[in-house]
Amino acid sequence: MGEHIEFMGKDIYFWNFLVLMFFTLFEVGAVFYDTVPGTEIEITKMTVWIILIVVGIVKGFGIAAFFMHLKDDPRIYTRTALFPVLFVILMLWGIGLSNPAGVTELPSWCTPNWDYAETR
Amino acid sequence: MSGHGAHVENGIWMRAVMMGGIILTIGVLLFATLGVAMADGKHDTWADLEDDYHHEETVLAAQDNISTSEAEELEHLHHEVEQAHLSYLSYRVSGITILLMSIAYASFIGFGGFLNASKSNGDDDHGDDHGDGYGDDHHGSASPIIFAFGILLFLAGFPDFAIACKAMLNASVTADLGMLSLSLVGLLTIAIAVSNWWFEDLPFNGEGEQIATSYPFEGEHIRKAGLWVFIMSEIMVFATFFSSYLRMRTEWCTDWAIRDGVEACKDVPEGTVVTASDLLRYDFATLLPGAINTFALIISSYTIVLALKTARNKDWKAPTGLMGKFMPTRKAAIRNYLIATLMLGSLFIVLKLVEWSHLVAEGFDIGTVQGSIFYIATGAHGLHVFVGLLVMLYLVFKADTVGFDEDNAQGIEYFGLYWHFVDLAWVVIFPAFYLY
Repeated sequence: MGEHIEFMGKDIYFWNFLVLMFFTLFEVGAVFYDTVPGTEIEITKMTVWIILIVVGIVKGFGIAAFFMHLKDDPRIYTRTALFPVLFVILMLWGIGLSNPAGVTELPSWCTPNWDYAETR
Repeated sequence: MSGHGAHVENGIWMRAVMMGGIILTIGVLLFATLGVAMADGKHDTWADLEDDYHHEETVLAAQDNISTSEAEELEHLHHEVEQAHLSYLSYRVSGITILLMSIAYASFIGFGGFLNASKSNGDDDHGDDHGDGYGDDHHGSASPIIFAFGILLFLAGFPDFAIACKAMLNASVTADLGMLSLSLVGLLTIAIAVSNWWFEDLPFNGEGEQIATSYPFEGEHIRKAGLWVFIMSEIMVFATFFSSYLRMRTEWCTDWAIRDGVEACKDVPEGTVVTASDLLRYDFATLLPGAINTFALIISSYTIVLALKTARNKDWKAPTGLMGKFMPTRKAAIRNYLIATLMLGSLFIVLKLVEWSHLVAEGFDIGTVQGSIFYIATGAHGLHVFVGLLVMLYLVFKADTVGFDEDNAQGIEYFGLYWHFVDLAWVVIFPAFYLY
């Protein structure tokens, strides 16, 4: 377990906790400021997107690998945790990103019968 | 798991009833302070400012010409009225939330404790030995299936339950109390199942932990494998919220998209589509509850890891200085880390409802598509936090009575997995719904 790995006299949980706190502060700051503090450099929507995704991945890894012990536990637990990711990717790709007009343009067999719902 | 190990006197369960009483007392005191005394003060300030605003408005309406400075002053006064209203809501909602949570906590732990105190001691030999050399350590528990049946009954009666509750809140409508019955039977079944679960778990000292004997979890604790499969299903639940939000969000012409020059939004006026993040992220005061909640969940993840680490550490030494006063023994340290987790989780719920009340006051309610997905996703997450807090109450009780050590720390570890998952879900929800 992570308590046996020490760095500068503190265990991995402590450092993971600090990293999570720092990155949370960083993502809130990135959204809150329109420009990089002390400069004229504009923080665009795309930049915020990239920051939020990268920070989310780092924080997610920190929680899953160290707090949930997936790094030290048998690989079967990581596989169990990753199994639904396949479906998550399918949903995000299939529903979220590839079909912005999904609700109005989906085939009739997978949309509710609105006429019936209104007249019921 | 059938609990066997440490002998637990039935009288210990009465401490759960006492714990419920203490929690209820704290809740009532905090409600009286925050939700009544301080909220009333804030309400008076709000009412005074509103009177001033209406008076000023009437005076200006009678004038033929209104100067720019007078219009600005009126606008400033209007802003102050809104701020005073939000300030009043903060105190009122936090007071009411604390009261309701303490009632839920007290009834949950108190009722479970009372039921178990009145039972015969299950730790005594009850002639259940099958002569197979295992005694009854290998028995599974009936509690999960009773619990699931209770949820089935509760949900089957929930539509009527919700209508009856709504009618009771609205004094002008007479409530049909019979509509509550099926859900109440469900809640009672859930309470009996949970209290039985505790009854079996409290004496558990690590002996008789069930081990999987076949692929793919061979050699692993069955409870841990089961919890990971449960987490797997939870990932799917939150993925549906997130993907439906993303699906809708990519189509919305939000102010941000318009200002960023998105081609499809060039003819759309600003303010057409307002998301929760539009109302939250631009102002420090509005973003603060969500940001504090994020930090609270991360800190609570750390405190529960510390509770587990302390429980597993046979050579634990009391810290020096101020921390030593809070944690003089290993048992006290584990209990206090769990209490800290409980308090941070409770803070999360309180701030969440305060934030919701502000959003509703600003007109962002569940009636819009943006509001619907926001309240459903963050509400589902909040419900997970609340259920986790109810479980944590039992962990605090066990840490305070039987105690955790290196042999029976699995309870903290497995609950910790759930709690970290709730934190992980927030890592996705917070940037998606609050910052983007």
